[in-house]
Amino acid sequence: MIVAPETLDLSGVPCPANAARALLRLEGMDPGSLLRIIVDDGEPVLNVPPALEQEGHALLSKEPDAGRWVLLLRRG
Amino acid sequence: METNIDNGMARDIYLDNAATTRPDPAVLAAMARADSDCYANASTVHRMGVAAGRLIERARASVAAALGAELPEVVFTSGGTEANNLALKGAAAALADRGDHLIISAVEHPSVSRVAQALACRGLRLSIAPVDREGVVDPAAVRSLLTGRTILVSVMHANNETGAIQPLHEIAMLCRAQGALFHTDACQSFTRRPLDTRGLPADLVTVDAHKLHGPKGVGALYVRRGLRLTPLLDGGGQENGLRSGTYNTAGITGFGEAVALAMRTDAAAITTLRDRFEARLAAAIPDVRINGPVGNRLGTISSVTLPRPDAKTLLHSLSRQGIYLSAGSACAAGRTEPSQVLLAMGLAPEAALRTVRVSLSRFTTEQEVDAAADALARAVREVGG
Ligand SMILES: Cc1ncc(COP(=O)(O)O)c(C=O)c1O
Repeated sequence: MIVAPETLDLSGVPCPANAARALLRLEGMDPGSLLRIIVDDGEPVLNVPPALEQEGHALLSKEPDAGRWVLLLRRG
Repeated sequence: METNIDNGMARDIYLDNAATTRPDPAVLAAMARADSDCYANASTVHRMGVAAGRLIERARASVAAALGAELPEVVFTSGGTEANNLALKGAAAALADRGDHLIISAVEHPSVSRVAQALACRGLRLSIAPVDREGVVDPAAVRSLLTGRTILVSVMHANNETGAIQPLHEIAMLCRAQGALFHTDACQSFTRRPLDTRGLPADLVTVDAHKLHGPKGVGALYVRRGLRLTPLLDGGGQENGLRSGTYNTAGITGFGEAVALAMRTDAAAITTLRDRFEARLAAAIPDVRINGPVGNRLGTISSVTLPRPDAKTLLHSLSRQGIYLSAGSACAAGRTEPSQVLLAMGLAPEAALRTVRVSLSRFTTEQEVDAAADALARAVREVGG
């Protein structure tokens, strides 16, 4: 069964609270499960992916979307 | 001073929990871990900063869940006093073009009433909504004071001296109808009485950590989404610009932990102990008066007016026996003026001066309330009359 990943909308959330909230959400999920994360352009899209990768989560894709970015993460 | 040790005296009996509570050991442990392991500035974006930010956001989620709030609606402050200042001064400054009138109740904590008086000195008009003999605000009084120029109405959720619960819902609905903001100081009631911002049309809610076994010097203001306040502190722009200053990571972590623990506390068990204390005291001293609305007050507080002696004498006598309670509110301690709250309820000044407050927590035991009731009864009898 393929389940559409949950989405965490972090638009408007400053750094590093955005990465912190993403980590908390990922920690609550099963290893291997997917999470879509929406972040703002600028600092957030530069800071959030490395912060999550550093904690062992995998960035699968990063797509621009109407001035924001959609990240797809796999929980480590 | 060494306390809580077996030096031939009984253990301390701490019944001053409305002034502040003993931090829960789990809270202290979480704070120590935060201070030693996550000491980086929680506004920085490197790995250690994110680790500290993670603690802040975890605490925010805990406080938000207890309030039925969204995460951005929780603004951490240095405590109840700062949150109350931010609510009143921040709204008055931001909405100066919309009005010039404030309403507060007659039984607010000084961190609301003094702020309102300070604003009145700067030109705002201030109205005080009276309370009845049980210390409860009549919503009709608020309705008659509301005008099109009213910026904000502030009525506390539960009173810190009597535990009286105020009719927030009715008052908040009146404010909404009139276009005034509604603020409530929920420092005493937070986690003890339901206060869900999804059901209550409050715009601003003050909560505090140290009243619920968290650390001193940490609180939060709930700010309804979309509401603009003028900050008290400008600087680095933390908390969406509403409260600048490097995060108190350990304190905020302790707050979040304390709220999570408090949400699992059996409030009914504390009320049972409080009622046991009052019944035992009333059986020993027939002419005690219980202040506040007997059926509608916090289960952690008992305000009793005794026939004699004055509360200060009682306080010191019990203190020598290792039993700690309060005469009036803690902030007024050191002065022997009667409590403004009790006066507003119509108590005579000399009766207010014979009133003590016993306040319980989840750490309070049956033996402790029995010992306190017996000690108070003994002290009254010793003075004779
Ligand atoms: C009802 C109420 N509001 C505000 C405060 C002030 O909070 P803080 O001591 O955290 O500044 C207190 C207690 O001190 C209180 O009981």
